[in-house]
Amino acid sequence: MKRLLRMSYLVGGVAGLGFFAMSVLLLGVWPGRVLEQQIRGTSPDHPLALTASEKRGRTVYAREGCAYCHTQQIRYLPGDVARFGAATLAWETIFDYPHLWGTRRIGPDLSREGSVRSADWQLSHLYAPRALVADSVMPAFSWLFDGAPDRPRQDAQDLLAYLETLGRDRALAGPEGEARARAACNCSDDEKRFGFGSPVLNASPSMARRQGDYPKLSSSGDLTRGQQLYSRDCGGCHGISGQGNGPGAAGLHPRPENLSEHEYTLDRLASSLWNGSVGTAMPAWRDLPVQDLSALAQIVRGFHAAQPEPTLPQDVLALGSRVYAAHCAQCHGENGAGDGSAAGQFPIAPTNFRTQRPSLAASLRALRNGVEGTPMAPWTSQLSEAELSAAAYFVRGFFQGAN
Amino acid sequence: MNESPPPAGSPPVETRLVYAHGLAALITLLISVGFGVLASIELLIPDLAGGHGAWLSWGRLRYDHTQGIMLGWLGNAFFAFLYHAVPILTGRSVTSARLGQWMFGLWNFAVVAPGWVLVLAGFSQPLEWAEFPLVIDVFVVLALVLAIVQFLPPFFSRGLEDLYVSSWYIIGGLVFTLLAYPMGNFVPELIPGARGAAFSGLWIHDAIGLFVTPLALAILYFVIPAATRRPIFSHFLSMLGFWLLFFLYPLNGTHHYIFSVIPMSAQIGAITASTLLGVDVVLVVANLLLSLRGAGWFPRDVALRFVSTGTVFYLIVSIQGSVQAQMAVNQSVHFSDWVVGHSHLAMLGFASFSAAGGLIHVWQRIPWARYNPMMLGWSYWLLAAGVVVMVSDLTVAGLAEARLWQTSAPWIESVRAAQPFWLIRTLTFVPIGAGFVTLLIGLTTGDRGGGLLAIRDTVGLEPIKEIAPVFSEPL
Ligand code: HEC
Ligand code: HEC
Ligand code: HEC
Repeated sequence: MKRLLRMSYLVGGVAGLGFFAMSVLLLGVWPGRVLEQQIRGTSPDHPLALTASEKRGRTVYAREGCAYCHTQQIRYLPGDVARFGAATLAWETIFDYPHLWGTRRIGPDLSREGSVRSADWQLSHLYAPRALVADSVMPAFSWLFDGAPDRPRQDAQDLLAYLETLGRDRALAGPEGEARARAACNCSDDEKRFGFGSPVLNASPSMARRQGDYPKLSSSGDLTRGQQLYSRDCGGCHGISGQGNGPGAAGLHPRPENLSEHEYTLDRLASSLWNGSVGTAMPAWRDLPVQDLSALAQIVRGFHAAQPEPTLPQDVLALGSRVYAAHCAQCHGENGAGDGSAAGQFPIAPTNFRTQRPSLAASLRALRNGVEGTPMAPWTSQLSEAELSAAAYFVRGFFQGAN
Repeated sequence: MNESPPPAGSPPVETRLVYAHGLAALITLLISVGFGVLASIELLIPDLAGGHGAWLSWGRLRYDHTQGIMLGWLGNAFFAFLYHAVPILTGRSVTSARLGQWMFGLWNFAVVAPGWVLVLAGFSQPLEWAEFPLVIDVFVVLALVLAIVQFLPPFFSRGLEDLYVSSWYIIGGLVFTLLAYPMGNFVPELIPGARGAAFSGLWIHDAIGLFVTPLALAILYFVIPAATRRPIFSHFLSMLGFWLLFFLYPLNGTHHYIFSVIPMSAQIGAITASTLLGVDVVLVVANLLLSLRGAGWFPRDVALRFVSTGTVFYLIVSIQGSVQAQMAVNQSVHFSDWVVGHSHLAMLGFASFSAAGGLIHVWQRIPWARYNPMMLGWSYWLLAAGVVVMVSDLTVAGLAEARLWQTSAPWIESVRAAQPFWLIRTLTFVPIGAGFVTLLIGLTTGDRGGGLLAIRDTVGLEPIKEIAPVFSEPL
């Protein structure tokens, strides 16, 4: 009897260890092998590994607990795909030692963050999140900077470099890579649908894009609602009265536009708000309903106080036209539409004067000082004072009228 | 009361080690709660640390909060309980008091304290329930090995026949934690991405399933019969529960990554195991609650009161776990505050109530320990109220967030919606903090030996036959 009992405990002990081993095999080792196969089939041939700086940035991300507020894992679910883009494939995280999937989302998923925001936005946001996003609860990581958002220390530079890698390899794989992976993926219809069938790889509503359709805004909007939205979503950068001097503006290059010095066509505002402004910190607002965008447009246009237009002699206009054709048209375009022959080569598009009109002072200032952070350089060494003011005046003539 | 001797015939208990671990548990508890409440305040006032406080930034506090609760508070409380329970369960003393001193030092001064400091200084791993850096993990593993050396030989030298169920949980808990810990802490550093996440998921659940739950259940199974002076309702059920638990718990892990790229069949397996686990817990808890019959709905012994409430929390949290592992529920509440509520119900409700009950129970039996029954009564009510409000609050917060995430509303709307709930969550610090402080006061003030007095009239002092080895003559 005693021996039998002893035996049963031995059996029990072995069974217990067996349970544990089984769990490791079934839920750890076996899935790992399936994933490995999946990775071999679906990964692009040469995904970019992290550079030394990006790796250090990853360490900063790890130690600051970013992964406890941000996931890096888009699930195979309609909600996740609609909000963030194509579901995460197994090979997308092969360089992550250890993984940074996360299990809580206080902030949004960051799997595809790399192409969503401009570098100056990222740095300013890390330095002081609430300067850009009023209601954010993200910690300020200002100790990674030397007292200003545009003076990042090594840690912040590395972190930025790391953030810019998020989603990079998948984007580089391109349509051919996607098609090949889809064909090779040994996965269910659902997995195919969510992993590859998303209309866009990156669904972030804030990601600026150069071209894209935009909704028609109405020229009347709820001003109270607009004011409320403006101070919440825009004031941090553009300043409460639209002067481009909000608390978040200091670290941004180019600076947020001084809205009170500009007139915009309604279509222009629609496209600026819907698509953002590529290469600048100006985000897109595709997650706001059209009524809200219309209300915002009203507010933006309200900042501009019409001033009596000076009438200039015909010869000044002619001089301006000559200067423009010689020096400006290659960027700003023959007709001032911002579509000159050289326009495509710049990360930031030259101003389209047909849809946006700077005040005379702003125009002159841009010519004298250039627009910091953009390819628009100062013209004082090339042009005489008379030519400068003639050109500054001339470009304002392209505007097509506010409506 | 100094002169009151421990009841004759009971085996030697290293009361000084019980006391030391108990005190360390309470102190690390208060510190860990401090990390937690600071982190929760920073969600309301994000610039609290002025943005210059790397050491007090949200992420680092968050790491220290959970590691402190698991290793500092629960770890120490479990050790305190083991120093009391193992000799009674086996009739033999633990391996060595000297070893105990080393373990105490190792656990508190080579694991918890330096772990906290290193995390605050920026050395950590971004893995849940594994945030202390790798150096610290080495000491944890060493301490776990020593714990096995310290606590398991008495069981084997006594012989495994007729072992009471608490003993099984102790043996299982210590052995499996040692096996699982390296898997969660080292493997994801070696195996990247999705493949590593599969292991991480296992450990997230093993931390609670193979470390916290078995040792907390060992306390429940020990304290309930000892404090009601009645045998456990059914030995058969307790053994069935034990084996099912050790079979099912490790198979749960992948339910942390449902709808991820981890193979669907592994996810479904884990979901099935999670469902069955809920059923098993109903068995375990039924057995425990039936053992309480006769003690009344509201036991007079405060240790028993803590423990029986812990049992009820265990039931609720396990059923909740089974429900939220279901795909239909998981897809919306995952990533939300619902889950934060769930883990507080588990760690603060189930585990902490069990550990506090266990601590009070062993304290009552240290002849020279101070004991203040009024404070302990307060502690119970404050904690119970705090947990209930906090968990309900976070559950509703999670539902609100989940609903917004299903719409096309801007992300920040879900942050705004959570704010009032976060405020209430922070306010629950008042009862919970006060509850833990009164627990500390209750165990450090009052008359020496007050605990013995308190239980002499209610539950009596002698070990009951059920728990003590059959051959040790009860008084
Ligand atoms: C306490 C939680 C929390 C922590 C910790 C946290 N964040 Fe955030 N994060 C948020 C919230 C909330 C938002 C959304 C509001 C906003 O944009 O500020 C956000 C937004 C972001 C965004 C913008 C996403 C987008 O495109 O809309 C980035 C990038 C980001 N965080 C990076 C980080 C990094 C890097 C870290 C670690 C250094 C970090 N976060 C730590 C809460 C957090
Ligand atoms: C993170 C800072 C930031 C926020 C927030 C922001 N903007 Fe901008 N915005 C900019 C910057 C920078 C530019 C300048 C772009 C340039 O020079 O081309 C800009 C440009 C603009 C322009 C000029 C048109 C254009 O495309 O250049 C308009 C109009 C505008 N913003 C409106 C808004 C409105 C309305 C909001 C709120 C819904 C808003 N912005 C929020 C930074 C911001
Ligand atoms: C290298 C290409 C390039 C050339 C050449 C160029 N610009 Fe620009 N210009 C830009 C860019 C880019 C911007 C900034 C757009 C922005 O901030 O989004 C700009 C901005 C401006 C602005 C400010 C618009 C505003 O709304 O504030 C004015 C005015 C302007 N340019 C006039 C001129 C004139 C006049 C010339 C010729 C003397 C000229 N530019 C030549 C690229 C160019």
